[in-house]
Amino acid sequence: MEVFQLFISAIFVNNIVLAKYLGMCPYLGCYKERGVALGMGGAVVFFTIMATLCTWYIQKFLLTPFGLDYLQTIAFILVIASLVQFVEMFLKKMVPPLYAALGIFLPLITTNCAVMGVAILVQREAYDLKTSLLYAVAASAGFLLALILMAGLRERLDVCRVPKAMMGTPIALITAGLMSLAFMAFKGMIP
Amino acid sequence: MQPFLKEFTKGLWKELPPFRLVLGLCPVLAVTKSADNGLGMGAAVIFVLTLSNLIISLVRHIIPKKVRIACFIAISATLVVAVELLMQAYAYPLYQQLGIFVPLIVVNCLILGRAEAFAAKNPVPLAIADGLGMGMGFAMSLTFIGGLRELLGAGTLFGKYIMWEGFQPFAVMVEAPGAFLCLGLILCAMNAFNHWQARRKGQDAPENPMPGCESCRACSHGK
Amino acid sequence: MVTVSVLTLLGLGFTAATLLALASRVFHVKEDPRVEAVMDALPGANCGGCGYAGCEGYAIAVVNDPAVAASLCVAGSSEVSIAVGELTDKTVAAAEPQLSFRRCDKLAGKVGMRYEYHGMPSCAAATLLMGGVDICSWSCLGFGDCIQVCPFDAMTLKNGLVYVNPSKCTGCGACIKACPRNSLELIPVRARVTISCATKDKLRAVMDVCEAGCINCGKCSKSCPAKAISSVNNRIEIDHKKCLSYGSSCEELCVKNCSRHILRTNCPPPTSSQSIETPPAQASTDNSIQANP
Repeated sequence: MEVFQLFISAIFVNNIVLAKYLGMCPYLGCYKERGVALGMGGAVVFFTIMATLCTWYIQKFLLTPFGLDYLQTIAFILVIASLVQFVEMFLKKMVPPLYAALGIFLPLITTNCAVMGVAILVQREAYDLKTSLLYAVAASAGFLLALILMAGLRERLDVCRVPKAMMGTPIALITAGLMSLAFMAFKGMIP
Repeated sequence: MQPFLKEFTKGLWKELPPFRLVLGLCPVLAVTKSADNGLGMGAAVIFVLTLSNLIISLVRHIIPKKVRIACFIAISATLVVAVELLMQAYAYPLYQQLGIFVPLIVVNCLILGRAEAFAAKNPVPLAIADGLGMGMGFAMSLTFIGGLRELLGAGTLFGKYIMWEGFQPFAVMVEAPGAFLCLGLILCAMNAFNHWQARRKGQDAPENPMPGCESCRACSHGK
Repeated sequence: MVTVSVLTLLGLGFTAATLLALASRVFHVKEDPRVEAVMDALPGANCGGCGYAGCEGYAIAVVNDPAVAASLCVAGSSEVSIAVGELTDKTVAAAEPQLSFRRCDKLAGKVGMRYEYHGMPSCAAATLLMGGVDICSWSCLGFGDCIQVCPFDAMTLKNGLVYVNPSKCTGCGACIKACPRNSLELIPVRARVTISCATKDKLRAVMDVCEAGCINCGKCSKSCPAKAISSVNNRIEIDHKKCLSYGSSCEELCVKNCSRHILRTNCPPPTSSQSIETPPAQASTDNSIQANP
């Protein structure tokens, strides 16, 4: 039951994009096609889970025992950056089709605050490994959901008559605001 | 002195980071529940941005081109840790308010974007001017949005109640959707102003600034 | 305290660096350096005119597949083809430069509207509604779907019709894919004659809707000494190769014989060297500024 609650809470109620404002750049940025959004979202899901796993071990066996909690930021970004590089090389050699699909998004992952944000959040919430991973799955699924919904909406927005000053970012932000408003309604689901 | 001033002032209006460059939107949306928070976050960004620009400009000839992004991230991460420690020591309530967005300054496109687009190509004084200007512009914008949201959402400004009696606050403004709506409307107003200005000068209306990769250029994707 | 933190970070950084260095050895993929060189030579507009998914797709194909020609990039000038050819050891036959041409002149034809349209301003959407706003089913609707996809900013909208700027158009064909009405086609830049109607209807059906529509009378194909004009799928088409190779001695009989002024002489831009001698008096219809009487 608790797992279910965590899932619903991370995907809908505390959606990392719409309620926690993480990963704004890809969300508002260049993804106007659902296919592209799916690719980016998939990459984020994969890396969020991997990064959460690695950083959890780093924190548990390196930073906490030596009392180096203050180095969390620098250690985490180092781990995430190396991880992205490593996976990029690995995919290029071992799974070329996957690399062809996700390759162009990989450099963006390092600077995606959703990946780093989830890694830090699970440390602040002091989750154990299982809960951390579950949270990473749920939170990144929420990111994927928001990204795809937004891409779908923007496909429609492209053919609508938008006032000149509203074109581009402003209308995207207003759309995001309304989406966020709609997602707020899920708050009632968690007692 | 002239180019120094030019680089400094461009961040304050002509290339105002969140509005004109549409860079680093996460903290803009997340920490602007009140003017206080916005100012605090802005100050942290000024510190990191100025120093990272300074350091990157200093070592710009030493860094190999292939690993420059990694180096930029390492430098800004170090500075962010310094800011975190400073805030914990002298402004702990603020640190708690800003939450994970203090460590997330590392991955803010503004820092990397300026490093790549400016500091890595220009001498130290100009890089400092650019960092200071951009940082101040960012802080200004954050404080402005924070003030607006606080005023409309709670009727207060910097914690003091200043609206008339019987004012019904729009609770939504301090909630998540308020941030999106507020920033969207401000951007819309900026664009309308730009268009009006261009029309008055008899030019074609400029393109609305677009967010994300196009403006950050921190990676090959944004080329 | 300081030593521990410095050592930890050093250790972390060193481990990461070693791992990455090892990984780059183990997972090293042999990449043909020519791919990158070809990429640099290509314009990088990702227009898809070559038939591949973006410039990178074409670069990989042209380097690895000996059957792929080096002249497929239509967006770049012939210099690009030559550069790509040199990089990939392929001989390049100079590609005929092409440009996009609108086969509709509904302003001259005074084409009426079927209904008043207030929907999404897109040709694709308007076509879905009873086959388009215009009475003619083959006209240019003028919502500018092609303008949006043009990677070179070569198209503009004026008076509800799309105009091609020949100095910017590279003939990549992105607009032709975007047009739901088939009212755009690629023609050689030095084409002698153009057709300004794309209808597949005949006689009365055309006369009723448009004063400048092709009624498929067939006079042009009968009069052409080069047999370059024919009706393909109920629509007249010019075989520009045959037309151009015939030379100028035909005196544009097709243009003279066309009773509805569908066929017009095309005046090529002055830059093309082997331009054909068109009488300047007749060259009233430049591709870009189709005269609307």
